[in-house]
Amino acid sequence: MLYRNPKSWQLGIARTITFIVTKDCQLACKYCYLVGKNISERMSFETAKKAIDYILGHEDKFREESVIFDFIGGEPFLEIDLIDQICDYLKTEMYRLNHHWFNSYRFSFSTNGINYHEKKVQDFIKKNASHVSIGITIDGTEKKHDMNRVYKLTERGSYKDVVKNIPLWLEQFPNAGTKVTVSSHDLPYIVESVLHLYSLGIHEVNINVVFEDVWQDGDNTIFEQQLIKLADIIINQGYYKDYACSFFSENIGKPMDREWDNNNWCGAGKMLSVDAAGNFYPCTRFAQYSLRDKKALIIGNVETGINENLLRPFLTLDRCTQSPEECLDCEVASGCAWCQGENYDAAQTNTIYQRATAICKMHKARVRANNYYWNKLFRKLELEGKRDEFEKNKKESNPTIC
Amino acid sequence: MLEYLIIQLDDTSTSYCHYKIGKKERRLIPLEMLKAGIKFGMLENLMIQFVYPDYKLPDDYAEAIETIDHSKIVSSLCENEVLKAEADVIIFHEWTELSLAQLDEKKSYVLRTAKADLFDRYLFLKDVISKVMRLNIVITDVETFTEQDFEKYKQILHTLSEHIEKEYAAGKAPQFNILTDRMMLDKMNNCNAGASNITLAPNGKFYVCPAFYYENEEDSIGDLEHGLDIKNPQLYKLEFAPICRHCDAYQCKRCIWLNRKTTLEVNTPSHEQCVVAHLERNASRELSDNIRKHGTFMLEIDIKGIDYLDPFDKREEW
Ligand code: SF4
Ligand code: SF4
Ligand code: SF4
Repeated sequence: MLYRNPKSWQLGIARTITFIVTKDCQLACKYCYLVGKNISERMSFETAKKAIDYILGHEDKFREESVIFDFIGGEPFLEIDLIDQICDYLKTEMYRLNHHWFNSYRFSFSTNGINYHEKKVQDFIKKNASHVSIGITIDGTEKKHDMNRVYKLTERGSYKDVVKNIPLWLEQFPNAGTKVTVSSHDLPYIVESVLHLYSLGIHEVNINVVFEDVWQDGDNTIFEQQLIKLADIIINQGYYKDYACSFFSENIGKPMDREWDNNNWCGAGKMLSVDAAGNFYPCTRFAQYSLRDKKALIIGNVETGINENLLRPFLTLDRCTQSPEECLDCEVASGCAWCQGENYDAAQTNTIYQRATAICKMHKARVRANNYYWNKLFRKLELEGKRDEFEKNKKESNPTIC
Repeated sequence: MLEYLIIQLDDTSTSYCHYKIGKKERRLIPLEMLKAGIKFGMLENLMIQFVYPDYKLPDDYAEAIETIDHSKIVSSLCENEVLKAEADVIIFHEWTELSLAQLDEKKSYVLRTAKADLFDRYLFLKDVISKVMRLNIVITDVETFTEQDFEKYKQILHTLSEHIEKEYAAGKAPQFNILTDRMMLDKMNNCNAGASNITLAPNGKFYVCPAFYYENEEDSIGDLEHGLDIKNPQLYKLEFAPICRHCDAYQCKRCIWLNRKTTLEVNTPSHEQCVVAHLERNASRELSDNIRKHGTFMLEIDIKGIDYLDPFDKREEW
């Protein structure tokens, strides 16, 4: 059976509602932003039910055409029984209330893939068939993956346990993409990682560098060299025809107009997360377990609902108001991303209005490599007379946001 | 640009705005600090406003204060009658006090009131408005307004507006912040704490406004010794306030402190603050139209008809 493509579904017109079902995980990934991961905070069905009752009971506040119910952890599939119960309740209630989301919903998961094959998980996938999308995180080659993604107690790498589930996953979700996060010490492995993922049959690699201030001197050069090497391989070996890597995008690296290109990048505030304690957050990155230096930014809870005043800053945030002059004048600004949660965490005051620019030199390196990639690719296509054909069939990767 | 320096002379100095006095014990600013504060104001070319406590200050303080041009903000409960007579602004915290006071037609007064008192006793304001040069109302619990409160407030503004119209028709021009300010303004005229004014507290540290001091002494923006150090200073400016910069309720205080309290961001107002300010704006529009029936009046100020009470609701159009 074929299942849906993760994430890209109804991009922009769907509301994402995230249940942080557990903060526990089998792994202790070295880069994990979830600083406060622990095993005690598991969502009860009661809490999930209250959240659902509030959300479905306030259709006026959730007017988007569609909805993505997103389940994250820790590792969400550790709580598959609870998730199954939540999804059953969601379906029954949407039906009972004749809710406008009843015909337009998805259940979405980001998993480490370790227990993907287990019966309960598989039963859940089959039961919800066309409404499920699943992304498995795999970092690249075994070496690269096992550098970061290690078991909590033994520190053993998890690669083998994940990769054995990839064929089943791809059989069920042939167009599935994977998300890769690159930090400073991962830079030298970018080329081999992307190619390895392609070789596993994953056609879409959504990859981004972390927003945190982790970058060392010279990292931008390593990054640029890796991307140029990757560009050469993707082009020379023809991968561009049906594989995508989100590092290469035609739309990045252009100046941006202050007036016309003033949208916020990140979707915080247009999403909603709920945790085990029943607190609502504008996005999971604002929950305490994701923050280093700041207090959680709670915008309500399942008992009292959302405090609309606390959403106002998120819903009126634009690019220019939060960006330093340097970014407004930047010649290569387009595609230079930010994460509202990281902005908040890194800001000098308790504000979401101070853009963190730790990725500046990495974005500039990416832009140079992109210029190289597109110049090289277009020239090749023109010489082969295949430019038009390419434009028609080109495979776009999703912009990697968070 | 910084223009004003507010000096809180004592921890028990009167409140002239939305906040409550957050401290009960007297703590007079040390004399040397006061002098340093005055010098800071002179060097930065700031107009100084002194906020007084209710007890009489030592003479050497009074002397130091007189070394600079300034204004005096004094409570109606101040025991120093001479000071009250000299005050530029007198603050009332209580309706009964106001009803018993001898009002001076050349002075400005502030009445700090909870909404409930205002809703009960507003008719009495007609009398006050006619007697003084200027009356400012500060509602101390704006953030608690409900839909019903908005409705009541609208009616109150309407009633008081009729009174002011009569005064105008009789050739007078009373000043009453919530109704007449907007009629005269063609651009924002907000509190501007953190942008055009800052506060020096008795501990020698600077704050965005006294409310920030009372809420958390650690929340300072510099001190006399090392100078000002405002983090994210742009966020106190109108251009960096996404809702307010699209707004024309020019008389609104745009209270930075309430912003932070209600939305956690100094640059973002609450729904309640916006609606209250728009009810005032719309009432000013009506008043201005009505005054024009009696003759030409402020023709250069055109307050447009609008179909919203909270500019946030129009954000898709910006
Ligand atoms: S962070 Fe750097 S690359 Fe990105 S927009 Fe700002 S100046 Fe440009
Ligand atoms: S920020 Fe301005 S309006 Fe608000 S309490 Fe302080 S002085 Fe008053
Ligand atoms: S009414 Fe609202 S948007 Fe307008 S100035 Fe006041 S606080 Fe700002």
